[in-house]
Amino acid sequence: MSGETIVSRILSVAGAVLSAALVLPAPASAAAAPGARLFADNCAACHQPEGQGIAGAFPALAANSFVQGPAEAPLTVLLNGRGGMPTFRNDLSDEQIAGVLSYVRSAWGNKAGPVEPAAVAAARGVAQSENAAAALQAH
Amino acid sequence: MSPEISAAASSAMSRRLFLEKLSSVGGTALVLAGMSALGFGIESAMAAPPQLSGGGGKRILILGAGVAGLTAAYELSNAGYQVVVLEARTFAGGRSQSARKGFQLKELGGELQTCTFDEGLYINHGPWRLPYHHQSVLYYTKKFGVPLEVFVNDNDHSFINFTKGSGPLASKPVRKQEVAADIRGYATEMLAKCVQQGALDQQFGAGDKEMFLAYLKREGYLEGKDMKYLGTDGRGYDENPGAGVDPGPGKASTPHSLADILHSNTWRTLGSVANFEQQRTMFQPVGGMDRIPAGFVRNLGPVIRYSAKVEKISQDPGKVEVAYVDGKGQRTTVTGDYVLCTIPLSVLRNIDIAVSDRFKKAIGGASYAPVGKIGLQMKRRFWEEDHQIYGGHIYTDDPDIGSMTVPSTGFQGQKGVVLGYYNFGGNAAKVSAMTPAQRMAFAAAAGSKVMPAYGESVENAFSVGWHRVEHNLGGWAQWSDEGRRDDYPVLTEPDGRIYLAGEHLSYLGGWQAGGVESAWQQIAKIHKRVHAA
Repeated sequence: MSGETIVSRILSVAGAVLSAALVLPAPASAAAAPGARLFADNCAACHQPEGQGIAGAFPALAANSFVQGPAEAPLTVLLNGRGGMPTFRNDLSDEQIAGVLSYVRSAWGNKAGPVEPAAVAAARGVAQSENAAAALQAH
Repeated sequence: MSPEISAAASSAMSRRLFLEKLSSVGGTALVLAGMSALGFGIESAMAAPPQLSGGGGKRILILGAGVAGLTAAYELSNAGYQVVVLEARTFAGGRSQSARKGFQLKELGGELQTCTFDEGLYINHGPWRLPYHHQSVLYYTKKFGVPLEVFVNDNDHSFINFTKGSGPLASKPVRKQEVAADIRGYATEMLAKCVQQGALDQQFGAGDKEMFLAYLKREGYLEGKDMKYLGTDGRGYDENPGAGVDPGPGKASTPHSLADILHSNTWRTLGSVANFEQQRTMFQPVGGMDRIPAGFVRNLGPVIRYSAKVEKISQDPGKVEVAYVDGKGQRTTVTGDYVLCTIPLSVLRNIDIAVSDRFKKAIGGASYAPVGKIGLQMKRRFWEEDHQIYGGHIYTDDPDIGSMTVPSTGFQGQKGVVLGYYNFGGNAAKVSAMTPAQRMAFAAAAGSKVMPAYGESVENAFSVGWHRVEHNLGGWAQWSDEGRRDDYPVLTEPDGRIYLAGEHLSYLGGWQAGGVESAWQQIAKIHKRVHAA
């Protein structure tokens, strides 16, 4: 039996049910965790702690016009993933995604306004990415 | 094939109608054969390389010495082509790596890790399994004399430790055999009850009801006339049978309740049959996955230029040209007749390449999976000694961990390397943000929840986040439905004199077989073109 594959399938198929469960065990403070902490946990591995990225591999978020532009575009990337970036649709709540994007838009000299959780909820309604399920397949 | 069908096939009948007719007489198998014959390409994966000869000294530049590049280099060399393989690393294999003592890895933005496993121990931190139906890879392991051993991909006596459910079986290790026996026993018992009460009589032809009940009885180990599930020896004993009168016949175990299993979520590890990709027999090379690239390298001439980082790929109607920087920082240019580029698309999209805008857009069409693995050297094989688990996966519902896997080699030895996590996507991104030491502590703590000796047995570790590995930038390519439809087909055809190959250009994504078979397909195209010219 391929445990990983089956578990992954369940996670992807029953994503809605399980994603609620996935968020539950996190400490109560996680939902309210500052964007900086969320960034360190979920983004810094690639985009680097100061948002400087790595040339040729991971785009810099500091001084990045895309992340400071209209919020819908970066929100879509956070929710659906793009290129080498995974989807965070099922991993982070609306509050968390709003928090981390607001942080990125205002850190390291960036000067764009905050993003409200309601905007994340609205963006979630837009066509869902196919990539989430594929990402979970074990080999 | 009936005369009616063959006559129909030769007429102007539509392919769809033909297949529907086939289905009505011959069932699915005949349809599949028919689809293959009609060129739908549903035949099973390729099992042997294309037979090529008469390369006539044409020069093929192969970019990347992973399994796809190595396959192409080997077959094209044998067919009389000149090949030059440019490999960015100091060793061949691409993602087909094994970490053992002295192996080094520095992830982008990370610190240098040097593997400190004891001699003889290793972790396959890239590909680690070879399914029986990946005949293309098995073709080369046989040809190169790479010995295989069984990879234990399922273990009845393994633990399931699911924490997101409730009840007495949640958040504790439960043996897989208990869950499988009990839930299948209860499910078949309930179904048998419905059938016996006549609720499904309309489903059955004469005599079929009795056969179906016989099946349920066997499948669920049901007992008596009323077909009850009362447990079965396959779920394990409270005390195993043995000699004499004590333990003598042993002590039978008591089934868990259906509700307890349901609420625990442990049933989520089960399915009637393993997913095709994960079926047994599963193999691994004895001594590490890197024995496969080593087999290629042994059988290739000195055609690989190591530490050659490709910077620019150009072409004109008559030739191709590739510029690379070598280990000393020197820029060199090589020319040839064709390029076969096996560089992952995640990396290729940042390389200057002379292809059409459409082709370039398609290169950007795939996303790459963040994937993490960690190997933990354990000072003692407690999973065997304390828990009688010999190979296989420990199932968790923590997506930061995925599964833990105990080794399928070195049974009953002193030490062993356990795969501590195998995570994907956002979970892999999160875990890879930790330092190597933090990852080790994280994996050790998770394992201790399942087996008490886990954490205290960890001696050292080696981990990888493939999305942070230069020259890979991801575990494997992922195609969305739109990408498969719009971009993938573009990349399977050449742009001028430039051909691509790799797992990313197969439906065996993330598997070495995808790399091998993609290479076979592309070199056959190059060969055909050379001979048509």
